[in-house]
Formats: sequence, structure tokens, C-alpha cells
Amino acid sequence: MSLSTALSIAQSALLNTQRQTTIVSRNISESSNPDYSRRGTMLSTAANGASIVDIRRSTNDVLFRQNMSALSSWSAQNTLLNGLNTLDIDLFGSNNANHPSRLLGNLQSALQTYSSAPSNSSVAENVVENARQLVNALNSGSDAIQNYRGSVDREIVSTIADLNTLLADFKAANDEVVGGTKLGRDVNEALDQRDALLKKITEIVPITAIKRGDNDMMLTTTSGITLFETVPRQISFTPTAGYAAGAAGNAVYVDGVPLAPGAGANTSGSGKLSALVQLREDVAGGLQAQLDEIARGLITAFAETDPSAVNPDLAGLFTWPGGPALPAAGTLENGLARVISINAAYDSTVGGNPQLLRDGGANGAAYVHNTSGGASYADLLLSFDTQIGTAIAFDPTAGISGTVSLSAYSTESASWFSALRSDATRSAENKSALMMRTSEALSNVTGVNIDEEMSLLLDLEHSYQASAKLVQTVDNMLAALLAAVR
Amino acid sequence: MKTTFISSYNTNQSVRTHLMKMQAELIKVEREVVTGRVADAGLELGSRTGQSISMQRDVQRLNTLIDSNALATSRLEATQLGLQSLSDHAQKYLSIMTAASSGAVEASISISEASTTITTITSVLNSAMNGENLFAGVNTDVKPINDFAPGSAARTAMEAAFVTHFGFAHTAPAASGIDKASMETFLTTVIEPQFMGADWTANWSNATDETITARITLSETTSASVSANHDGIRRLMMSAATVAVFMEGNLNGNATQALMEHSASQAGQSISALGEVQAQTGIVEQRITTASERLQMQINIFEGKISDLEGVDAYEASTRVSTLLSQIETAYTLTSRIRQLSLVRYLP
Repeated sequence: MSLSTALSIAQSALLNTQRQTTIVSRNISESSNPDYSRRGTMLSTAANGASIVDIRRSTNDVLFRQNMSALSSWSAQNTLLNGLNTLDIDLFGSNNANHPSRLLGNLQSALQTYSSAPSNSSVAENVVENARQLVNALNSGSDAIQNYRGSVDREIVSTIADLNTLLADFKAANDEVVGGTKLGRDVNEALDQRDALLKKITEIVPITAIKRGDNDMMLTTTSGITLFETVPRQISFTPTAGYAAGAAGNAVYVDGVPLAPGAGANTSGSGKLSALVQLREDVAGGLQAQLDEIARGLITAFAETDPSAVNPDLAGLFTWPGGPALPAAGTLENGLARVISINAAYDSTVGGNPQLLRDGGANGAAYVHNTSGGASYADLLLSFDTQIGTAIAFDPTAGISGTVSLSAYSTESASWFSALRSDATRSAENKSALMMRTSEALSNVTGVNIDEEMSLLLDLEHSYQASAKLVQTVDNMLAALLAAVR
Repeated sequence: MKTTFISSYNTNQSVRTHLMKMQAELIKVEREVVTGRVADAGLELGSRTGQSISMQRDVQRLNTLIDSNALATSRLEATQLGLQSLSDHAQKYLSIMTAASSGAVEASISISEASTTITTITSVLNSAMNGENLFAGVNTDVKPINDFAPGSAARTAMEAAFVTHFGFAHTAPAASGIDKASMETFLTTVIEPQFMGADWTANWSNATDETITARITLSETTSASVSANHDGIRRLMMSAATVAVFMEGNLNGNATQALMEHSASQAGQSISALGEVQAQTGIVEQRITTASERLQMQINIFEGKISDLEGVDAYEASTRVSTLLSQIETAYTLTSRIRQLSLVRYLP
């Protein structure tokens, strides 16, 4: 009687060892999968020996939440930084070489050369040429910004498509978990899959996962909007076709509630979507407004004045569709950088005369300063340089407030953008470090160590040998017993 | 129960991520070593980027100013030469007039000397540099002084003034009856206004009173030319023209005496006025030279500051390169050692 019990215990030990070996080999095979959680076995003692009651996944909810939140912040920061770098290269070239502030400097130098030789018409052409480069930079910069905003919208659309797919997958995994748990099946595979999907979703929108009965999971965004509850909620977004300066784009709606965009260089937003909306509105919009203000500053600085102060100031070298009147002082004129142009009266390619810069009079005889017609009259030319250095009021809604000179405003604009980029880079490093740190911590808890598995395998081998030996011994004893009774 | 744990995935992953970071850093530092500047100025300087751009722009403008100052200086040097030659001629002419007024020189010599002086003044004043007439004020595309030939506006106006004043031409026989006092009155009340007043620009000069303004520093402008309408030049011209025109007439000894004395006095005044304008021009030249020196100093300061902002210590950068290289090599060694560090290798 007791011998047969010993035999059955040894048998179940063999069985246990085999199952444990299966799990160890599974662990080893998944050791390089970051989404895999290590499985462990729980043995419990019964009358006929130990039996495996449970296969446990190693988890740590706190570390997992930390990792998700770090992943989400990093994803937003990285998206913002990539956008800033794209805009930087698109608009300003390497090392700000194509920044309006530098082109303004070239224009000032050309003006200085012209003022020292006002009778030389080729130097006058050179001034107009430099002005044209500045206008081109503003025009193409403005175009690039609006195209970029359009491309951000397209990226939002494709990101939302990804999110919808992920949520559908999440529903499948969640259903499997809930159904399996109810039936008492092993749902570890589905749990692994669900966690992996959570990590991917949180890169797009920041989420809070709430666990409910039967391992069911409900997802809300960190601001409390329901994203998934038994079924995925609707995420809607209407892209804007053809952006115009100053026109705001549409928000992303989750379950009918708009998703808040991030703010600041060290973005307050989490998830790719909030950073994309921030790029489209705050960054690209701010940059556009500053280019518009620079354009307005140019038109104002080069305005023609009536020497007898009777007629109003009118647009000179730089003009716009609203010309010859000047744009309203101190007020942002949306899209001015897109439409600013060289006044045809100065442009020799369309029959204009660049020497008007020296003499004045593009707006009629009343605006002529060089009344004696002297070929070396330089006073008007010198006054332009003074105007560029004279403080005028800029619209504070463009991000740089106060009364400064055009020349200072243009460099402050460069500072504004570089500060954004520099802070964003630093924050991206910090957030990436946090993301690495939390995923290391999580991986250390949930990951597989091959050495451990190998040593476990040795244990199992010994245990198997011992059990086999046991079976053989019991067999010998039974044989001896049977021989005695024969 | 385990107390410390590390997953195999992490063991392999951490070396890999750090290796990639170091390689990215290496590329950045290599660029810094080669260029001597930070790899990405905007990224490095952040909100101070504007300062750097502003200073680079100022350096560019200051260099342009130094170039344009050189142009203004050469214009002033040529002007100075012209003024010197005018002054020399005035001196020479004055000595002849002084001799002539004591009756030691023949009338024909005085006349030819006066005509030569007019030609010389005209050619000096009409001299041009780089296609710009030096003494034309701002009206540099036009020759400032008209020719003084018989029938020219200037000569005709002087002859007509004589007729209007005395009722007959200076070549008429009646001219011999003019006494010294009335000749003096004619010269001071009729002829002098023709030169010193508005008639000068109508008959003689196309220059403007306004002179060329030049910016010599970022904030300072100065007048950088001399106009042919300057008092000294008008008086010298008057001194020579009166003799050249009226000596040819029928004047008696006393009237000629008055003419000579007037001419000599005008030449004298002209010399002192020319001296004054030469001194002023010299002062402006001096101002421009010191301005250029100051600009050069500013450029040096700005360039120093730019290199403070954007420059990289070459020694430090190259040290970082070698540190990074050895770190990366260590990481490679580590990777291969970690690969060997597995229990599997020690199991039978």
C-alpha cells in the first residue's frame, strides 16, 4: 500500500518536473522579448505529493505604471523635438544661416555700401537683390510653416488610425483575458499581449488603466476621458485642407471631448497626439506670427515719408497687397510674411528704378527727398539704416513683446526658437533617461535571466534523476517482495 | 525568494544603448574638433542665439563700414590734394597781382596769368574719382564748374553787369573816364554779389551746397566732401575773373589800380578760407581714420565674444574624443565578455 503511494508520488514528481521544464524552456526562448513576463510555478503539497497549482506571471503594477507614464512623456517630448528640428532646417538652414535676422544684416551692409557710393547704380541693384532674398526667405518660410502644419494634420490622421487598430487589438486581448479568467484558463499569453498593447497606446495618448473584476481593464486618458470601456470609444479628427496663417486647426476628440495640447519647450503634454497639436498651433503658429511681424517691421522701416510732412507715410521698397498704405502699427497682420513683396517701382526686372531708394518718390513727386537730383545724395539711404535700428511696437501675441527695433526683434525671434529647441533637447534627454530607467527597473522585475533559468534547469534535472531513481528503487523493492512470495 | 535580480535582456541592452549614445556624442565632438565651434550653435546657446547672430551681423556691418570709410578717406585725400593745388595757385597768383598793382607787370601778363588761373581752378574743381566729381557737392554726376570762354554765361553776365552799371561796355572809349572810387563801388556792389550770391550757381557752378554725408561708425555720420561753392573758391574765381575780363577793357590807370587791389585782396581772403577748409577736411580725415581704428577694435571685441559663445576649447574637445574612443573600445570588449558570461558555457 505505502509502496504504491511512494510510486505515485514519484510519478507526479516526474510530471511536475516535466511541466516546470516546459516553463523554463519557454522563459529561455522569450528571454530577449521585452514584453514577455517571466513565468514561475507555484507548487502545493497534496496527499499524493506536490502538484502544480498555478503558473504565475511576474508583474509589478507600480513599476509598470511608472514606465507607461515615462514612455508617454518621452514620446511627446521626442515628437516635439523632431518637429522643432524639422522646422529649424526647413526655415533657417544650418546654423541659422538663412534666418531673416542674418539676411537683414546682409541688407544693412548692402545699404551701407550703397550710401558710401550713392551714384553707383549697380550697388543700388545689390541692395534690391538683398531685399529680394529677405522677401524670398519670408515668403518661402511662411509657405514651409503652413505646409508643415498640413503635414502635422496628416500625421495626426495616421496616428489616430494606428490608435484605432491598437484599441481594436486591445479589445481582442482584453476579451480573451476576461473570457479565459471566467473559465479558469491560462490567460498569461493574452496578459502579455495586453500589456504590450498598453505600452504602444500610451505612446500615442497618455492613459490610466483601471483593473476590474475578471481581469477586465478599462482605459481612460490621464485627464479622465474614457478611451476604452468594454469597447473602444470613438476618436475623431477633421484635418484642415490648406492652412492659412493665423487660422487655428481642429482639435482631436476622444469620446467627444477635445484632447488638451501640450505647452512649453519641456512639454506638459504626454503622448504623441498632444505634442503634434502643440507643434501645429503654438510652435508653427508662433513662428508664423513672428515672421509676419518681421515683414511688418520691414514695410514700416522702409516706408516713404513726405519731406514736407503733409502726405501720410506709404510703403516703399517693401510692399504688400494692402499697399501703398502701411499695415496698422503695433498689430499683427496674419500672413503678411507670405504676401510681402518688393515694390515694382524699385525692381529693375519689371521696369522699376532701384535709385528711388536714394531719391525717394516711388509714391509720387511729393515723396522725393533728393529735390536737387544730386547723384551722391545719401541722407535718405542713411535714414533707412536708422529706421531699422529704431524701436517700434510689436504685437505681444506673436510671443515676443515690447517695443524694440526691427533688428533686435529679428534676433530675438532666433533666440525664441533656439531656446525652444535647446530646452526641448535637454528635456528629451531627461525624459529618455527616465524612460530607460523605468523600463530597466520593470524589465529587472518581469524579465528573464538565463543564468537563473539554467540553474533551475539543473535543479529540475536533479529532481528528475532522483524521482526516476525512486521509481527504480520502488520497482526493485516490489520485485524483491514478489520474489519472496513466489 | 530572490532579493536582487537582473534580466538578461537588460544586461545586453544597457551596453547597447550606451554605446549608441557614445557614438552619437563622438560624431558631435569630432565636428567640434575640426571646426573649433560648437556643432549646433542654436542648440548649445538656446536663448543666447540672438546675441551671437546680432554680434556676427555687427561684425559684418563694421567690416562694411571700414570698407566704406576707406572710400571716403580716398575721396578726402583727393579733395585735399585739389585744395592744396588751389591754394598754391592762389599764392602764386597773389604774388603776381601784388607786383602788378605796383605797376611792375604788364597788363597782358596779368590777363594771361588770370586766364591760366581760371583754367587751372576749373580743371582742379572738375576732377573726378571713380566717376564722381569731387567738388560737385552731392551732384556728382555733373561737372561742377562751367567753362569760362568768351560768350559763356559767366563772362556774359559780368560784361552785362558792367554795361548796366556804367551805361557803356568796358571796351568802349568812355570806360577810360571811370575813376578809382566808382570802379571800387562797381566791384564791391555789383561783381561781388555775382560771385557770393545766387548768381554763382546760375552762371559758374553746378555743384550743390550740400556735401556728401557718410556714415563712419554705426551711429556717427559726417560730411565727407568739399563743394565748389565754398567761399574760398568763389573768391579765388572772382579774383581771377575780374582781371581776366575787365583788364581787357579801356580802363585808365586808377581804375586798373582799383581792379588789381580788389583782386589781390580777394585772393588773400581766398587763401585763408582755403586754409580753413583744408584744416576742416584734415579733421574729418582724422575722424574717419580714428573711427576705422575704433571699428577694428570693436570687431576684435565682438569676435572675441562670439568665440566665447560658440567656440570650443580644442584641447578639451580632443581630450573628449580620445576619452570617448577608449570608452567605446571598453564597451566593445565588455559586449564580448558579457556574451561569454553565461552559465551555459560552464555546464557540461
